[in-house]
Amino acid sequence: MSTLTVTRAVHLPKVGTVLSLLVVAFVVAAALVPGLLVDGSPTAIDLKSTLEAPSWAHPFGTDDAGRDLFTRVVHGARESLGIGLGATALAFVIAIGLGFTAALAGRVVDAAITRVLEVAFAFPALLLALLVIAVRGPSLATSIAAVGIGSAPGYARMIRGQVLAVRQAGFIEAAAALGHGWFTVIRRHLFPNAMRPLVAVATLGVGQSIVWASALSFLGLGVAPPSSEWGALLDAGRLHITTSWWLEILPGVVIVLVAISVTSLGRTLQNRLGGAAR
Amino acid sequence: MKARTAAVLAAAVLATASLSACGSDPAAGGGTPKAGGTIVYGHVQEPPCIFGGWIQQAYISRQVLDGLVTLAEDGTVKPWLATKWAVSPDGLKYTFTLKDGVKFTDGTPVDAEAVAWNFDYWENKGGNSTAKVSIDPYYKAAKAIDASTVEIEFNTPFPPFLTLATQGYFGIQSPTAFKSRTEKENCEKPIGSGGFTVKEWKHGEEVVLAKNPGYTSWPATAKHEGPAIVDEVRWKFVADGVSRYASLSTGESHVVYEVPTVNWKDAQSRYQTIRYITPGKPVSFYINTRTGPFTDAAVRKAFAYGADRKSAVEAGFHGVIPYEGNPAVSQATPGYNAEVAKAYAYDPAKANQLLDEAGWTQRNADKVRTKDGKPLTIKLVYGSGFIFTQEGATVLQVLQEQWKQIGFDIKLIPATQAELWGGKYTDPSTFDATPSYWTSPAPSILWIVWRPSTTEKPNGSNRSFYNNETLSAVIQQANSEPDATKANDLYGQAQKIIQDDAAGIGLYTQNSTYAVAQNLKNVWLEKSQGEPVFSDAYFTG
Repeated sequence: MSTLTVTRAVHLPKVGTVLSLLVVAFVVAAALVPGLLVDGSPTAIDLKSTLEAPSWAHPFGTDDAGRDLFTRVVHGARESLGIGLGATALAFVIAIGLGFTAALAGRVVDAAITRVLEVAFAFPALLLALLVIAVRGPSLATSIAAVGIGSAPGYARMIRGQVLAVRQAGFIEAAAALGHGWFTVIRRHLFPNAMRPLVAVATLGVGQSIVWASALSFLGLGVAPPSSEWGALLDAGRLHITTSWWLEILPGVVIVLVAISVTSLGRTLQNRLGGAAR
Repeated sequence: MKARTAAVLAAAVLATASLSACGSDPAAGGGTPKAGGTIVYGHVQEPPCIFGGWIQQAYISRQVLDGLVTLAEDGTVKPWLATKWAVSPDGLKYTFTLKDGVKFTDGTPVDAEAVAWNFDYWENKGGNSTAKVSIDPYYKAAKAIDASTVEIEFNTPFPPFLTLATQGYFGIQSPTAFKSRTEKENCEKPIGSGGFTVKEWKHGEEVVLAKNPGYTSWPATAKHEGPAIVDEVRWKFVADGVSRYASLSTGESHVVYEVPTVNWKDAQSRYQTIRYITPGKPVSFYINTRTGPFTDAAVRKAFAYGADRKSAVEAGFHGVIPYEGNPAVSQATPGYNAEVAKAYAYDPAKANQLLDEAGWTQRNADKVRTKDGKPLTIKLVYGSGFIFTQEGATVLQVLQEQWKQIGFDIKLIPATQAELWGGKYTDPSTFDATPSYWTSPAPSILWIVWRPSTTEKPNGSNRSFYNNETLSAVIQQANSEPDATKANDLYGQAQKIIQDDAAGIGLYTQNSTYAVAQNLKNVWLEKSQGEPVFSDAYFTG
């Protein structure tokens, strides 16, 4: 079964992968130590140089408060990436709980959880996210929760499928026959084998989450101002699209680049680890 | 037949238009008029009902309902449904004589009984919250003297009444229609005697207004006599400023409201434009004087000195929307005190000094000032997307950055309309400052906003929770003062008290901006609230 084989073929890194790695490395650096890439504060205003087109001094131009857009994009990486990672992590925690319980706790529980997941599936993930925000009000934490909860059902179903498949494998039976306790079997054998193909899925999920979080901010439902989360930048730039294009186009390009890079790395991982789920 | 109508129309229109022809003023007329056609108008917000106490409702109810009186450009009150009126010597009784033969669009007469019923409905039956607070508690009763004479009685003299009655909130509806129909029908299709009737309301999309062919009751300020020239007005709701403005260039609309200021120059070069500064309370901060750091007047003043509000407004709105330093009333309001507006010009040194003296001397790791270990955190709640556009939000972010320099930690809290009006930020503990506006053609708006709250009669509009008996007395004295000059002097004093105590902090004037396609003439704004008037408008061939 594909879930069990781990391809060991030697791959030379492709150009795309290298570029993706560079982009991701840059964004991770921006998120961890933004001061390394830009000086100055993302909220520093300069009313004398508002709406300036990109130049050497301001590679991404300035906004209507004279803030340097490049600085804002770099500082926004922490929140955007944070939401992406946080939401995916939250989604997986929920999904692992539900997926493992459904797969292992017997038919009644399985049926119940599966039904709930099917209902959740009936709603687009973004709609679930909007529901969370409607209840909790917009904030960074809510964005993470919203995107995380919104995308959890999909992962939960995948995990359930993986667990069911792996559970029937010979080595699980062998481990059980050797007298290991069920907890040990799950921890040592079932979990790692069921989750391995999902590492790639999770990576893909980070890219997806960044896009969703941007969508929420774009709708004015994300983090509070003056945050320079990328979706919020897009939202702010929209008004200027006919007059100061850089405010809309450049943050948009950044989101697309990062999402593509993360997704491309996810695909590479998927190929290396084997086992394409979904 | 058709040609003759057009010729008569052309003559009538040109006769009135020639009086005021000039440049790109859309109210100026000109061109060869064409009868009929449909005006597509892009508005921003969709109200819950066609009429009611919110300015968004006044905008549209003005198309359907006529008022007793209207306001002329020079600020004088002119006839509308009332041809004349008299005030009793003691100032307590207003006797209006109604225009003869005017009918509501359900065929019933616009008579004294109907007018008296409307006043009772607004004041005693919850019919219109703003009509109510505008003349409350001065209003006593309305009664029909005979079919065409109605008398409005007051408890105390209240000279601003006539000016206030020019607001769209005071639109007269047919009591017969109101009593015989369901609440929903009245809400969606109120029956008035106006130039248009509500034909259809496609929720979330548009209200279709159809011409009232039997219109006889145009106001004295109308630009032509007779029913509307166009057949229909499609009043569309386009919340997004970018799409709204773009709809003009694609030809999807003929008139748009609230042009993004970033597009204003472009609009001026391509379309006819109108900018109207609303009188009444400008967009200024209510400052919570009951709890939190702003209970100390020195901190409020430091807040006022601590940011360059004027430059922030000019930058955020691209020089289109004027700064307003007077927190109480805007520069378009009669009785405006221009001296008061000059207070608290940007002075960070003074702000720092005031905060030092007030005991906020320490700074924490984030350089935020602290006192007794507590940081100087200000919760600034603002209506996001309805009071504050994206451009307004930029202004707040600029101010936030400047306030940070002097040690304020400003938490910007964007609130949705549902949150803000649903009461989430009503309690004093939920905010320290909150900016908003309240349009009114008279300085008596001060009474609505600053009337002290008492247990028996709380004032939810006094969002600064500022109970100042001296201020209250001055405003009441002004409200009953028959001499306009003396009244304005008193209103000016009231503005000074508010400013001196920094009970509110000025920001910018509330503006209504419109862009009108070149082939549509005679779109104009009535004076009291800047409501667009379409019953005189016509397309040119």
